[in-house]
Amino acid sequence: MAIQYLLILNRQGKTRLAKWFTGSYNEEERQGLIEDVHRLVSTRDLKDQSNFVEFHEGKLVYRRYAGLYFVMLIDFVDNELSVLESMHFLVEILDSYFDNVCELDLVFNFHKLYMIVDEIFLGGEPHQMLKKQVLRRLEYIDSISL
Amino acid sequence: MGSLKLFVKAVRKAKTIADERTVIRKESAAIRTSFRDPNLDQTTRRVDISKLLYLYILGEKTHFGQVECLKLLVLPRFADKRLGYLAAMLLLDENQEVLTLLTNSLDNDMKHHNKFIAALALNCLGNLASPELARDLYANVEEILKLSNSVYLKKRACVVAAKLTEKEPDLGDVFAPMIPTLLEDKSPLILSGTCHMIQAVYNYCPSFQPDMVKLIPKLIAHFKRIISTGYLPDYDVNGVTDPFLKVTLLTTLRTLAVNANCTADDQEQLNDILTQVVSNHDSGKNAAHAVLYECVKTIFAVNSDQSLRVLGVNILGKFLPIKDNNTRYVALEMLLTVIDHEPLAVQRNRATIISCLADGDISIRRRALELAFAIINEQNIRVLLREILSFLGSCPDVELKPYITSQLTICAAKYAPNEKWHFDTLTRMLKLSDNHVTPDILSSILALIMRCQDAELKKHVISNLVQAGLEDPAQYGLALVTVWSVGEYADLILGSNIEIDGQPVAVDENLLLHLFDLFSNNPNYSEQESTQILLYMLTAALKLSAKMHTASAIEQLRAFINLKSTDNNLEVQTRALEYKQLFMQHESSKQGLLARMPAPPIKEREGLSLQGKAKVAPPSASTSHSTTEDLLNLLDDDVPSQPQSATQQNNNDLLSDIFGGLSTKDTKNTNTMPATQDLSSNGIEGFKNSHLRVAFIPKQFGNGEATADVEITAVDHGVSIDRVQILIAVPKSQKLTITTTSGSDSLVTSNVIRQSLKVVGAAGSKLKLRVKLKYNANQSEHTDQFDFAKFTSTL
Repeated sequence: MAIQYLLILNRQGKTRLAKWFTGSYNEEERQGLIEDVHRLVSTRDLKDQSNFVEFHEGKLVYRRYAGLYFVMLIDFVDNELSVLESMHFLVEILDSYFDNVCELDLVFNFHKLYMIVDEIFLGGEPHQMLKKQVLRRLEYIDSISL
Repeated sequence: MGSLKLFVKAVRKAKTIADERTVIRKESAAIRTSFRDPNLDQTTRRVDISKLLYLYILGEKTHFGQVECLKLLVLPRFADKRLGYLAAMLLLDENQEVLTLLTNSLDNDMKHHNKFIAALALNCLGNLASPELARDLYANVEEILKLSNSVYLKKRACVVAAKLTEKEPDLGDVFAPMIPTLLEDKSPLILSGTCHMIQAVYNYCPSFQPDMVKLIPKLIAHFKRIISTGYLPDYDVNGVTDPFLKVTLLTTLRTLAVNANCTADDQEQLNDILTQVVSNHDSGKNAAHAVLYECVKTIFAVNSDQSLRVLGVNILGKFLPIKDNNTRYVALEMLLTVIDHEPLAVQRNRATIISCLADGDISIRRRALELAFAIINEQNIRVLLREILSFLGSCPDVELKPYITSQLTICAAKYAPNEKWHFDTLTRMLKLSDNHVTPDILSSILALIMRCQDAELKKHVISNLVQAGLEDPAQYGLALVTVWSVGEYADLILGSNIEIDGQPVAVDENLLLHLFDLFSNNPNYSEQESTQILLYMLTAALKLSAKMHTASAIEQLRAFINLKSTDNNLEVQTRALEYKQLFMQHESSKQGLLARMPAPPIKEREGLSLQGKAKVAPPSASTSHSTTEDLLNLLDDDVPSQPQSATQQNNNDLLSDIFGGLSTKDTKNTNTMPATQDLSSNGIEGFKNSHLRVAFIPKQFGNGEATADVEITAVDHGVSIDRVQILIAVPKSQKLTITTTSGSDSLVTSNVIRQSLKVVGAAGSKLKLRVKLKYNANQSEHTDQFDFAKFTSTL
């Protein structure tokens, strides 16, 4: 199982996070992909449609949390449900870390956002799924980052 | 320059895009200038880099900062390193040269006593792993795996090792031997990391596959332990203990168990554990579904016993009524892939599958529909097609309709319990399908009507069509079939009764003419559709003139054809004028001309798939053709019973298809041969014009193989002919190779061009060629095409 990329976009399509776990796209392709993904995901119905949609050579797993779309591209063979769960895990961590996270938190603390993502995903694999531990580490890292 | 926060605020404050551009450009320039300052202090550099990252997120160019971020990460402070590595991961990618500058820092930091710094470096390596970095730094990862006692680092190192192995498969030699030791560790995090390593080694280093397969018992033991430990609050996700680890373990086991070296004992163990997992997880929450879903995937991937497979299908069946769209989506998707393995078990979920047709999500509807067609058989076709037809009537998805009509036609033809039902179903389909029936479906329906031997049934069908047409004249497909059938078989129904709105109505000539009126002036049709219907109606009108007897009715038909003889559409006009002539012919000659069409053969149609996977395997068509003299199979998609125009067009398309598809291949082989001697006197002449003559010289025929030579000679030596290209196509059931030759493609320098052909096909079949000739005569380009079938011998 490998996530190819993780995007956090707002409803207008502005990128809040773009984490590429593969080197197969150049900068231009990446911007194009972000636009395509946003166009596709933002037109889908929230209530009546599933959180999976086929896209290029894989599947997008996405979910909208308030004004933000969290999107991951995975392979066809991957377990969509599990990936969705890991995405939710990330959001829960963000919510605890920023204490009721909102888009602005992510805008101003984008570098922290990347750090958090790195604590959970490595090379496209979720590798740390213990909420308490992740939060404790983050706290500690913050304390030595001053 | 201000802080990062101020910059972000400034960007956000910009009212217009132009404003935003100005702010960004200014800041970007300022950062560049600041980087050029040799005495740049660390704090400013850190702020600069963080701003640079913000620019990166905005999609701006940031390449000028690549080296600066390397400078930042060599600094000893954790904050600097953190930002530096973050910048490196974002701004660099594995294809860049700058990456080599990173090697040293990564090397040092991975050895750092502070595990957080080591973790930063590991993360960076995992994300940026290029084959070079992999080769240079694998030893550091190895050391962490062997010596570190920090779970925090080790689990990362496992994943990084997996990544490095993927990039540089030779590293399997280093990492594969470490896996058994790592598997001794009971920490779930390391276990999960080790699973990734196993998968990477298995998938990328084939020589280690047998070793990896031997790990199955150990993995199963771990799995058993995890299931039996029960509730662990830290690892709990919605009532499921560590679903991620379970999914990873299952995926890994699945990867390994498909290997031929997997022993029967391992298989059995795996079956046991799968049964346990399935019974241990109640559906209800997404996390549990994820695990169950992974189980089902595993069940059908590995060689599990039948009871387990049925269990798998039942799990999916339980997923279908669940409210969550995602679960339904994966269940349907999975059912589609398992239907071939366990058709009966899937059948049992018919009701739930059908209920998904009413789902709010189009992708679910689409999968349910595809599945519904896949489970149709003789027993359930009545029920299922009834559901599908009602779905067709109410379905909001225009793009699904052509699929439905086409699949429905195939299924009905395959499993119809009796002819009457078959016709009734098709009529119902026509009533509901608007214009979403392709011409080939229409023609196959017409062919079916023509082939119908039972006069009573035929009468019933035609009456039904007329009735349906009167009720709803806006259905294009229905209109075409009805018009055609009435033209052909009006005599069968004249004088009988049909029911309209519960009232019996006698079918007389006026009613039929009224029906035509309804069709011809229907505003619901597009221009193209109207023209098509008009053409059908002209033919029908002509045919009816021999079947109707009242003077007024015949006069109406004549008036109709007359009217159309001044139509704006050229084709309609031409047809009308032709028919006008025929109309005036004497009764006796008309009888022969307007007799019923002979019944054409039924064509096999291939099943469609909405997802590009062939689901309905069509019976092989080649067997039925091999012995017949079928005029080039290539043309077998002809619409047998339609007015000429449609057929004509179809032919042309096919021709271009043949040549479109073959020409490149043939051109390559089409070389020419120097004229050594003049042999053009013998052979069978296939084609001749004022420039060229093409002759075929049969050489060897029999045993399903034929060889022949083609000779192209100039007719008039006064004309300079060059660039001769000959493209040859054979029916699909045969295979052609054009071989040889050297020399020029010009008839100026030599007087004959020779090619040899070899055709392989079923023994006894006739050889037919379609030849396209391209050449330049006196600099102007010519193209000619002809068919050749004068070979007396067969393959």
